[in-house]
Amino acid sequence: MSIQSCTKVELIPSTSNQIMSRIKALSGEKAVLLNIWALWCVPCVEEFPMIVDLGNSYNDLEVVFVSADFDDQIIEVESFLKQHGVDSISYIKSEKDEPFITGIHPDWTGSLPFTVVYAKNSGNIVDSWEGKHSRLRFKAAVDRALES
Amino acid sequence: MKYILTCILLFSISRASELAIGSVMPEVNHKMLGINGNKLSLKDVKGEKGTLVIFSCNTCPWVIKWEDRYVSISESYSSKGISVIGVNSNVARFGGDDSLDKMGEHATKKGYNFPYVQDSGAKLAKAFGATKTPHIYLFDTSDRLVYRGAIDDNARDAGSVDEHFLSNAIEELIADQPISKPISKAIGCSIKFN
Repeated sequence: MSIQSCTKVELIPSTSNQIMSRIKALSGEKAVLLNIWALWCVPCVEEFPMIVDLGNSYNDLEVVFVSADFDDQIIEVESFLKQHGVDSISYIKSEKDEPFITGIHPDWTGSLPFTVVYAKNSGNIVDSWEGKHSRLRFKAAVDRALES
Repeated sequence: MKYILTCILLFSISRASELAIGSVMPEVNHKMLGINGNKLSLKDVKGEKGTLVIFSCNTCPWVIKWEDRYVSISESYSSKGISVIGVNSNVARFGGDDSLDKMGEHATKKGYNFPYVQDSGAKLAKAFGATKTPHIYLFDTSDRLVYRGAIDDNARDAGSVDEHFLSNAIEELIADQPISKPISKAIGCSIKFN
């Protein structure tokens, strides 16, 4: 049996407030890597396996994937998550772009992918960036998040 | 390692700073090759009442959803003194999906009624702080930025829009009124700088 077929995918339609509440609840327990992506976004799909692998290499890191796809693509998004072995709770955007973008991070312009890394102890933002980046960038931010 | 991280951080910040409302239009003399073979700068296309710059591309699903409204907005407001230009800054794809030939095919297929140009070196996008497609910038007759952001609040369905951000801003600009909502946000595809 393949890893993919064992994976249980839970994809929850959510607003930015609901996602931020989930991240806040993890403060003091785990560092958090929030990645906002979409099936149609080539750079998002390209960096996705690296992020999954990075998440699997840390015990104290929670990777939170949020799909910005349209809500009629839930089945395709679930299939993609399953294919990549994502077994934690994931989210799909359920509100209009502007309140969603502003609620996630006031400096985010709306370009995908978008990544935010939150400190384990304080829950503060350690780093955030738009666009596809290297594993080095991700790892450096996560390492700092675990120390602060 | 510290040097690398500093470079990454500086790179990230430089990309993140969008042109502020009230800023003067940058790079007005930057000549860009259009689909008809002519080179155009923003200075060349300046409108009597204002200039609308749309950062766009050929393949982004968000562009595909919205670009029918590029055409209708150009059609509605060109006779009222608003000029429109589509700017493709996807330098990394100029040899492929965003080649000049494919831009020409795309513009014909979609009925573009405005110039569509290639931003060599993504010089314009970098000067504007544009990050995605579509990304909209509206300037007044003094070449001051009065609006930036999205076309409206519903990419998927033009008939279900609640807030017509750009049309409202253009109407206010033409009427010499303050822009009630100078900034809006929407999701889009990242500009492929390199």
